[in-house]
Amino acid sequence: QGTIVKDVTLKEDAPKNFLMSKHIEYIANYGANKEDYEYCMTEYLRLSGIYWGLTAVDLMHCRDRMNENEIVEFVVSCQKDCGGFGPAPDHDPSILYTLSAIQVLCMLDKVEKIDVEKAVDFIGGLQNEDGSFSGDEWGEVDTRFSFCAVTALSLVGRLWENCPINVAKTVEFILSCMNFDGGFGCRPGSESHSGQIYCCVGALSVLGELHHVDDDLLGWWLCERQLPSGGLNGRPEKMPDVCYSWWLSSLAMLGKLHWIDGSKLKQFILASQDDEIGGIADRPGDMVDPFHTLFGIAGLSLLGETCLKPINPVYCMPQDVLDRIGVKAQILP
Amino acid sequence: MHGRLKVKTTAEQAEEKRKHREKKLKLFQGAKAAAFKKITAKEYDREGLHITQEILTANSDYYTIWNYRKNTFLHYKSTKSTEELLESFQAELSFIQNCLKNNPKSYSCWNHRCFVLLTMPEPDWKKELQLCNLFLQYDERNFHCWDYRRFVVQHSAVLPGDEINFTHKLIENNFSNYSSWHHRSKLLPIQCPDLNDPNRIGEKMLLEELELVQNAFFTDPNDQSAWFYHRWLLGRGETKQSITCLHVSKPDSRLTCTLRKRVSLAQCSSMKVYVNGQQQNVTWTGVDDQKYQHACIASLLKSNSLWDTTRCQLSLHPR
Repeated sequence: QGTIVKDVTLKEDAPKNFLMSKHIEYIANYGANKEDYEYCMTEYLRLSGIYWGLTAVDLMHCRDRMNENEIVEFVVSCQKDCGGFGPAPDHDPSILYTLSAIQVLCMLDKVEKIDVEKAVDFIGGLQNEDGSFSGDEWGEVDTRFSFCAVTALSLVGRLWENCPINVAKTVEFILSCMNFDGGFGCRPGSESHSGQIYCCVGALSVLGELHHVDDDLLGWWLCERQLPSGGLNGRPEKMPDVCYSWWLSSLAMLGKLHWIDGSKLKQFILASQDDEIGGIADRPGDMVDPFHTLFGIAGLSLLGETCLKPINPVYCMPQDVLDRIGVKAQILP
Repeated sequence: MHGRLKVKTTAEQAEEKRKHREKKLKLFQGAKAAAFKKITAKEYDREGLHITQEILTANSDYYTIWNYRKNTFLHYKSTKSTEELLESFQAELSFIQNCLKNNPKSYSCWNHRCFVLLTMPEPDWKKELQLCNLFLQYDERNFHCWDYRRFVVQHSAVLPGDEINFTHKLIENNFSNYSSWHHRSKLLPIQCPDLNDPNRIGEKMLLEELELVQNAFFTDPNDQSAWFYHRWLLGRGETKQSITCLHVSKPDSRLTCTLRKRVSLAQCSSMKVYVNGQQQNVTWTGVDDQKYQHACIASLLKSNSLWDTTRCQLSLHPR
């Protein structure tokens, strides 16, 4: 039997312009009501939420709309005795929120407010014998955590000097997750997924080891993620989603961003905006959230939207922040 | 938040929803406060399991709450009888299954199930494989479930051949199942290896597999899954190192070569340069300051030695 193409059709009346001021209001007001249902239910990822919001408004040149002192104070309160960060003060530490904390403080130029040494120890302590990383003390292994470790350490200047991890083993483990299609999965044997590919290619880029990637094979797989609507899916025969507009930044790292139709992708992202309350959803007509708002905006920046700050394809942070702290990642010509 | 359609509601409906949510939130926040009290006090007991169950039923991504339950079960292991222990673990397995039904893509939920299986006495791996079959029936592409399946297979005595048969069934049912094709790409080289290359499939199996995949794209030529797999079967999946161009500059006594795959300068030193059949000592440099390069330059240490060259060879000695 034939399979139906999983895709959406963009409506005639879908937004076609970038609604910047609406998005700024949406993000700046998100969490203003601490009793809001959605806000309370997402406490388990709060610190990442702050990173999404702050990055989004910074890309829109409006970082001053956020209460910086309140953010710094909150981030500091999330650091645990072990050095790792939880998403909120009472929650358990995880490498995911440790990266978010470091990213947020780098953007605000306030890294000195936390105990960096202890955070570095926490990250180093999560590496396993085979080079993989656990997310926390309970030992779940995932290449997302390899990405977190490598990028977080590089942001605090500890990847090349006084490095607490075995870099060669880190690379070896990531490569053991490579698949027949040139992509990467969570663990050895796992299916390729463009979010996971972003993490693995990103980590290799930070480590200057991109030559291990079969860029033509992987580039083909990645550019085939684009659907007739212009949106991208994360795996073959799946629905498009705005957040994949960002995961495709691995194509940018491989120097192949022109392998997809940028203007059609832009149309898809713009059509997923909410023209009433601002923000961007996973696809046109759905409910918006800060996660998709950031990754939609980040995608537009990557595609060269001139009203936004340029974004770094590996760190998903404004390029000017990385220039200030002197962090570079490998981008293939 | 994925796949939640924004619907226009009347003021009345909106108010009703707000009230409903307010009530739900109040219960949730109450349970949360009680749970964190237990966590801080390190009180690992039945009451704690009960409270945290409420939270996880509402939101199974709350990993700190799952961690409390992990600690509770570790505590139980040293305090309860085997019988009591088994009973608690069984209850936990059915609770997780309910959470997974509501949220089949929850990382922390699947991860907690791994913990339970690795911690409980006498885990029933066969039952877990059936659970995987069930969840792959709901969604044959759920990669969390596929990963859990691989975890189960790894910890029990499931033979690669049985797993291959399983993927065969799924593919026969629906060719458009990239997850199944992927799983095959990992299993077939183990079951029917090519003796010359451990990552590839032996000739006989390869021919059967080609027929299967061709059936797939004859049935549905627009489906991507089979095409990616086909390319891999044909052996074009992996780029092999080769010299794409060699340029000899006699006046400069140097060779410039371009390669299919990037190399580091250290790897360059394993390439051998022969002039008129004689191996030469050379120094390698890159064309810029990148660590790995597509092009590199060999300078001959003895100058002018290229002037009377009739034959120049570069040979790759991949490690």
